[in-house]
Amino acid sequence: MKKFLLLFTIILTTSTLFAYDFIHPMGGRAAAMGGSSVASQGLWAMQNNPAGMANLEKISLGLYYENRWLMPETAYKCGAFALPTKFGCLGLSFNQFGSSKYNENKFGLAYAKDFGRYLQIGLQLDYLLLKIGNDYGSFSAVTFELGIQSQVTDKLTLGTYIFNPVNFSFKQTLNHEKIPIVMRFGLAYKFTKDFIGQCEIEKDSEREGVSLRGGLEFEAVRNFFVRAGIQTNPGILSFGLGYAISFAQVNVAAQLHNELGASVQIGMIFSIGK
Amino acid sequence: MKRLVFIILSFFAASIAKAQIAIDTLNTEVLNQLLIEQIERLAEDSDEDIDFEELLENYIFFSENPININSEDVMQLVELRLLSVFQYEELKRYRRYYGDFLFLEELEMVEGFDEQTLAIIRPVVYVGKDQSKDKLTLNKMARYGKHQIVGRYEQILEKQQGYEPYDDSLLLAKPNSRYLGSPQKYQFKYTYNYRNRIRAGFVLKKDAGELFFTDKVSDTIQALLGKNYRKGFDFFGFHLYAKDLGIVKAAVLGDYQLAFGQGLTMWSGLSFGKAGAGSSVMKQGRGIIPKSSASEYGFLRGAAVTLGGGPFRGTVFYSNRWIDANVSVFDTIDNEVAEFVSSLQETGYHRTIGELQDRHAIRQQVIGGHLSYAMNHFEVGYTAHHTWLSAPLQLKPSHYNQFYFQGQKLTNQGIDFKYVKGKYALFGEVAMSMNFDSTALAGVSVGSTTLNRFAGLVALTVKPAGYLNFTLMYRDFGRAYQNLFSNAFGEGSRNQGQRGIYLGVEAAPAPYWHILAYADQFQFTWLTSQAYAPSRGHDYYLRISHSFNRRTHAYLQFRSKTKMKNSTDGFAFTHYPISYTKNAVRFNINYQMGSDFHFCNKAEYAHYHNDDGINEHGYFLCQDVAYKPENKPFSLTFRYAIFDAKDYNARIYTYESDILYSFSVLTLYGKGMRVYLLGKVKLFNALTLYARIGRTIYSDRDQIGSGLTLIDGNHKTDLKVEAIWKL
Repeated sequence: MKKFLLLFTIILTTSTLFAYDFIHPMGGRAAAMGGSSVASQGLWAMQNNPAGMANLEKISLGLYYENRWLMPETAYKCGAFALPTKFGCLGLSFNQFGSSKYNENKFGLAYAKDFGRYLQIGLQLDYLLLKIGNDYGSFSAVTFELGIQSQVTDKLTLGTYIFNPVNFSFKQTLNHEKIPIVMRFGLAYKFTKDFIGQCEIEKDSEREGVSLRGGLEFEAVRNFFVRAGIQTNPGILSFGLGYAISFAQVNVAAQLHNELGASVQIGMIFSIGK
Repeated sequence: MKRLVFIILSFFAASIAKAQIAIDTLNTEVLNQLLIEQIERLAEDSDEDIDFEELLENYIFFSENPININSEDVMQLVELRLLSVFQYEELKRYRRYYGDFLFLEELEMVEGFDEQTLAIIRPVVYVGKDQSKDKLTLNKMARYGKHQIVGRYEQILEKQQGYEPYDDSLLLAKPNSRYLGSPQKYQFKYTYNYRNRIRAGFVLKKDAGELFFTDKVSDTIQALLGKNYRKGFDFFGFHLYAKDLGIVKAAVLGDYQLAFGQGLTMWSGLSFGKAGAGSSVMKQGRGIIPKSSASEYGFLRGAAVTLGGGPFRGTVFYSNRWIDANVSVFDTIDNEVAEFVSSLQETGYHRTIGELQDRHAIRQQVIGGHLSYAMNHFEVGYTAHHTWLSAPLQLKPSHYNQFYFQGQKLTNQGIDFKYVKGKYALFGEVAMSMNFDSTALAGVSVGSTTLNRFAGLVALTVKPAGYLNFTLMYRDFGRAYQNLFSNAFGEGSRNQGQRGIYLGVEAAPAPYWHILAYADQFQFTWLTSQAYAPSRGHDYYLRISHSFNRRTHAYLQFRSKTKMKNSTDGFAFTHYPISYTKNAVRFNINYQMGSDFHFCNKAEYAHYHNDDGINEHGYFLCQDVAYKPENKPFSLTFRYAIFDAKDYNARIYTYESDILYSFSVLTLYGKGMRVYLLGKVKLFNALTLYARIGRTIYSDRDQIGSGLTLIDGNHKTDLKVEAIWKL
């Protein structure tokens, strides 16, 4: 039944246009907070807004898996590695959507730098690889993504992010399949020391409408986080838990879509350094 | 008291002076923001393309030539909506009690002057001795007068259909299928200003598509155009203005604007209309205003003078202009040839054969005057003017234009008043039109009673507390009220056949929070060009703004407007109006990083729906980055935006930074992205260069525009270059 519904939804949404899924909020924290991530920091910022990894202090490695709609065929897998240096933070990332029959891959080389409290800038160069099974072949393209963040007050952080700003496309495909331009901006507001709210807006040039996202995070017990969030277009409710200690973090999340059901996410980050 | 203030301020003077530079750059931003909001609202309200230069001229003029806070000119800050009438009253009271201002910081002690107000007006005022009674000498004028030269070039870089090559046979068959001139726009302006008292200048302009010296036109076409064939600058204007010369309060020769009362009887040029909401719906007629901009319509050309003595002010004016019109010729019964005008053209463009043939086709003369009497809190004025055209205006007969002005002569008169005291401001204007020219108007007077020729508006603003004010306004413009120079508060640009009630609220409920809201309900008492029955509508607006700190300002804005227009239902037997609604939500945040970087994010959503079942959505997201390093002679501004609005109905209006003295509000629809880069560099002390290049790239189409402006491609690039030389 679920597969039927999924097929039905895919037919409905792709009959007029076809959208890629290279860009998807990564990390268990973002997933639990309705996908809002453009103004957050940490390792997964590399995929969500590279500016957010500018202040990373430790060498970090992260792994993330999302079992979307509880079907392995629509899963996301993601890995990221960050190396903070004197000149800014360097990063490598990989993510994949799909299965062996159809998959979208993104390889990224990221760099972010902190220009004081008011300005962090991040950049990621991407190599995109689209593989379609049954001898349809594979297609590749190169693009980049850019982001900035600014901590304008002690409580308020603003972020903006653009993927594929100059509108590259898959030249080898028949119709020069467009790679979407994705633009997001939003804010994170620290209500108290242990309570954060985030919201953002996303426009994907190849999708109808915009997506609004919001989430809350509460540090219920020291190092233990409770999160919840909401997203529109598609309408999703989400919640999750997180636990962080000095060298490791584990974040889990679940998202609920009214027609397509649940998705679960798990992310882990290991870090070494001071 | 005065002395005490002086001593205290002297103490702080040194520290204040140090901080001044940083504050000033910030304040201009606040002022700009205020202006941008009003201009965007104005653009949304009007359906036509507006030349904002006209309106902006005054703002820019005063930001470059600040007003002396101790002079009477401060009133102009009210007209520019930088001060409320209550603040102005308090300012006058303060000056009466404590004498002239010695420091700008004293303004903080005037009641009702909050941080926001100070931030807004600081860049446009200075403290000085009132010099309006100083003697004018040629020596001083030569030494202290400021000269300025502005040269500008603009062009759309892609080739538009109208500039494609042509031969004479094409033009003879379809005369308006090509622009005759080149696609460049050139403008040149010279102005002189001596302490805002003596101003003079001239302006030359050639629009894109108009014939310039270098353009070639074949003899056949020249013959076809006859006396209308001309090359070079298409527009020339000049002005000579003086004020405060004894009893002559102001005098002008050349191009000028007039603004009296609430704008119902005489307000040439643009006005913010509904765009300036809240308590600022009260207009301050500034009388004679010299016009130095290059806009080609809505102004007067001739002479005007204002004399004043005691509480009285009197203005007389005369204007004689050739205006663009579509003239037709017909034979009368006695075999004489007579001319009549079927429409007046207001674009100022003379690019095609048709536009050139209409150029300066008839003469418009206006004569009139204004007399006012002002007591302490009360002011009353009377305006009258008479317009006559060299050929009668005879519109294509239709029901909706049946009460529009037609014929050759029109007389208007009106009485305006205002009373501002304490917490109350009461103001209004009543006007009437007299069109005795009934020769060309068979049938027009049907249904037009004397009462229909009247128009009036009255409003009351109450300020129960310093942080709160309400305005209630009622307007009723008769359906036969005809006026070519009316520009009062109202829905749409025509002050005719309209009734409405407006309620506006402005509040600062907490520090750093500001709320502006209004509701306007209106009825069109006669048909309009879009609705073939009397119709109604309303306009709701709410804006909540918040300053997180001095560098971070955000606002959230909602607007919902419902009006009526004819249904496009193809199966209907008759025209009938249906309601349509446009809702728009916008979030905007400006923030500054360090002192050099200014960032701005904007997200906008527009929704259109009508009773025919049409539903359309529009989205817009943008990121602005401005690099304005302190103590460096250059600056750069960049925007990246994406938009997605299926149709014109859900279009997005967006302001863009522009070269100085120019202002753009772009209308975006379709799907794509928009980028621009604006650069400014100060070469010497006197010379500043501006350049801007912008490009819109569509992803949903391979052709942009239609007709003569059609571009074969998916991108449109605009380039502007400007040089300003100040002496």
